[in-house]
Amino acid sequence: MLEVKGLRKVYRSGSGDVEALRDLTFHVDTGDLVCLVGPSGCGKTTLLRCLAGLLDPTAGTVRIDGHEVAGPPPGLAMVFQEYGRSLFPWMSVRDNVELPLKQKRIPRTRRLELVGEALDAVGLAGTESSYPWQLSGGMQQRVAIARAVAYEPTTLLMDEPFAAVDAQTRADLEDLVRSLWQRLRVTILFVTHDIDEAVYLGQRVVMLSSSPTVVQDELVVDLPAARDQLHTRADSRFTALRTHVYEQIQAAKRGRPATTV
Amino acid sequence: MIKKLAYAVGLPLILFVLWFVLSNGSENFYAPPLKDILRAFADTWTPERLRADVVPSLLRLAAGYALAAVIGIALGVAIGLNRRLRATLEPVLEFFRAIPPPVLVPVIMLFAGIGNGMKVIVIVFGCIWPILLNTVEGVRAVDSVQADTARAYGITGPARIARVVLPSASPQIAAGLRQALSIAIILMVISEMFAASNGLGFTIVQFQRSFAIPEMWSGIILLGLLGFALSLLFRLAERRALRWYDGLREAQRRS
Repeated sequence: MLEVKGLRKVYRSGSGDVEALRDLTFHVDTGDLVCLVGPSGCGKTTLLRCLAGLLDPTAGTVRIDGHEVAGPPPGLAMVFQEYGRSLFPWMSVRDNVELPLKQKRIPRTRRLELVGEALDAVGLAGTESSYPWQLSGGMQQRVAIARAVAYEPTTLLMDEPFAAVDAQTRADLEDLVRSLWQRLRVTILFVTHDIDEAVYLGQRVVMLSSSPTVVQDELVVDLPAARDQLHTRADSRFTALRTHVYEQIQAAKRGRPATTV
Repeated sequence: MIKKLAYAVGLPLILFVLWFVLSNGSENFYAPPLKDILRAFADTWTPERLRADVVPSLLRLAAGYALAAVIGIALGVAIGLNRRLRATLEPVLEFFRAIPPPVLVPVIMLFAGIGNGMKVIVIVFGCIWPILLNTVEGVRAVDSVQADTARAYGITGPARIARVVLPSASPQIAAGLRQALSIAIILMVISEMFAASNGLGFTIVQFQRSFAIPEMWSGIILLGLLGFALSLLFRLAERRALRWYDGLREAQRRS
């Protein structure tokens, strides 16, 4: 369970304060997959950094599984957009996935088990001793997902994870996230700027306004749980939901221009 | 492969032959024929002499260099990670760095005498700066996403330094170590020229003072060969340790 209440973030600097997040309140139920969309530059990254405990909010609270976030919470894993910079290039794929587990003091045999299972789950068995930079972009992001999965988090934050991969790889990775979510029953907050992706992946979609950010709208995606790229995207319900989200994002762009306080 | 080898060996070979031919029949006492120098080389650098003079030099070099590396990297990490420390220390470090180390030999002699300690201190003091300053820069340049990733996954404290900060800074640190190696060799010789009872620098000065000119030249050649061998060793070690970095850069160039 992820609860965000009255979250506000103001960046203070010499040339005036910039209000990135104004007032955000939303929640993600345990085991739910919620997508967050917003116009570009709406402070999504700021929000995620606040949720992950990497950035202190100016006001408001973030609770994960009932505990208020102050510093990176133990049950939380994160997948970053810049896979190339998020994986450690001096470590093999195995070491990249294993390192956070070592930090959690998980015994060696269990660690190797988790690493093996996670790499298997993302379809990367056999690449253990490669370096990340020897893999394609899509495969690198799979390693990052494996690292998150092996960590056995209760909550998984994904920051536009597929923004930098090509369209076909992207479709594969979307299906991978859906199937992992259904299997592992983790709580996922998936941030994206792609409206189709948000509707395709999410059980709910939370739409954000442009900066300073508030929640523009929320929407329950009442599509069947079993989704596939071909039929779901052609579904008339899918297009209706997609149109709704699109209109809201357009309204958000027009409605509130970025201001400096 | 053969072509590469030919390029690498070509110029040294030409210089050697030129020196040999041009100096042949030289009457100048101070620039004897290379033939004589080579003969002196074989006569002078016997195993006993190597043990008595070259080994002590190399041991002092190794001690000074290793000490400088440990202190330089440790201090560099501390300074690189701490903004306040950096602001306080940076001007002082720049000042110390600007002092040519040979100038300090007489000063250090006053404190540390003329034994091995003095020579090691001179080497440390001279070659620590490139290591220290490169480490600071390397540590500061840790990628922000990598730093966020480490924090988000609870990789903090010693593990963060050992598994993230140091490897990430290692290409920079290696560059510092490479610069430091040549400085260390220079200081090894200079410290022995001031005051010593053995060592390469001492021996070369002894030869010069006793007008054993071919022997003096042979010592200089030996020094050159040693420096060359050490930098070759360093490059091999560096290439092994930073294989990931070369591969990463290669991959980035391709994309």
